[in-house]
Amino acid sequence: MSQDYGVTPNDIFNSMKDRFRAEGAAGISSVFGYDITDAGRWKLTVKDGAMSIDKTDDLSGCDVKLITDSATYVGINIGKIDGMQALSAGKLKVEGDINTFALTSRFFVKFVAPGQDAAPEQELLVLKKVISVKQRFATGPVMGKFLKGLKVQKILAIKCPECGRLQSPPREACAICRVKNTDWVEIGPNGEMRMMEYCYYASPDPLTGETRETPYGAIGILLDGCRDEEVFWHLLRPDQLDQVKMGSVLNGKVTHGSRLRPVWADNRTGGISDIKYFEIDA
Amino acid sequence: MATFDTSDCYVVEGKLALPYTYFAGRVGSTFITTLRDQRKIMGVKCNACGKVFVPPRQTCERCMEDIRNNWVALSDTGEVVNFTVVRYDDKHLPRKAPFVLAMIKLDGADTPMAHIVEGIDPENMTEGLKVKAVFADQTTNTILDIDHFEPVK
Repeated sequence: MSQDYGVTPNDIFNSMKDRFRAEGAAGISSVFGYDITDAGRWKLTVKDGAMSIDKTDDLSGCDVKLITDSATYVGINIGKIDGMQALSAGKLKVEGDINTFALTSRFFVKFVAPGQDAAPEQELLVLKKVISVKQRFATGPVMGKFLKGLKVQKILAIKCPECGRLQSPPREACAICRVKNTDWVEIGPNGEMRMMEYCYYASPDPLTGETRETPYGAIGILLDGCRDEEVFWHLLRPDQLDQVKMGSVLNGKVTHGSRLRPVWADNRTGGISDIKYFEIDA
Repeated sequence: MATFDTSDCYVVEGKLALPYTYFAGRVGSTFITTLRDQRKIMGVKCNACGKVFVPPRQTCERCMEDIRNNWVALSDTGEVVNFTVVRYDDKHLPRKAPFVLAMIKLDGADTPMAHIVEGIDPENMTEGLKVKAVFADQTTNTILDIDHFEPVK
């Protein structure tokens, strides 16, 4: 308790009147309840730029209620404990709209304990923003044909005229033979699980700006009709991350993975998300 | 130019959202909070070479001196040393086009700062114009707590 400068919740509530800033409470009319479990209950009423604080057992009629213990409440007020951290650690609970409760920080000048360094901490500015960038992705003839295939529930691959390997999503040229790809074949749509990346960090989708739920599984599927490394990358159904069996080819020894099938989106627009994900084909 | 079958070519429209957090730092925070609370533009002075920087910085670029605490108050008037006219609209821009973005050297400062100049037709804009800061009514905790500069009458 030595870090608390001997401050009790009583000291903080009793000084509220002196620390009140009418300009910070302008236009706000709310009743805030404080349930300090080991010290008592207080009710703060703010209306028309004025306030009153009452010690009372009856917290009915409060718009929002804060529930915590003395050590946490004092710690937050003297700046030793971070309120958000206390909240996520379960040391502090708010019943009602937390944003309403956050308004209280504007009502009062900071509580300074006797003996606490009176020089206020410097206010440090942090700016949180979201940049939104419009993008246009030109498919070109090859990727366009592939994406149009997805629209009609077909997965197409392009075939190298020399080595015969399949690429899907397709590329204009076979980078091994250095020739232009010409032939198209339909593959899948079902296939066999090969490998999965268990992803814990998702970057925003460049087409929608949305960040998908984590963890998610980015999977390589050997679609029917393909061989060796001709895997197709997509997503695994989120609730099946721990149910799939991976497959492999090691020194000619084949281990078969789970059979998978695509789940098609209802509204298909000719994009890679026309397949929602792959799921276990049972 | 060779032609090819474009019947499979089309455009996929997308929108990328990039969340980010910018921390102004101790020096930058003091600069903005002083602007906001006292309507005062502060710079930092290098005690070794005497150069006054605004926007302020932690270290003198010439002497490598630590100058973060050498605050000096500057005038809210200054001179346009360079400018450009922004002639396109984009969401991230602070004004509708056309508007003037100028490098303004405040009286008492040795470095210019970028800001908007209003109250003059962009076509009549000249280097050497004397301007004065107009502070914003609403704070945004950014450099736009100075709303813009306008010509000194």
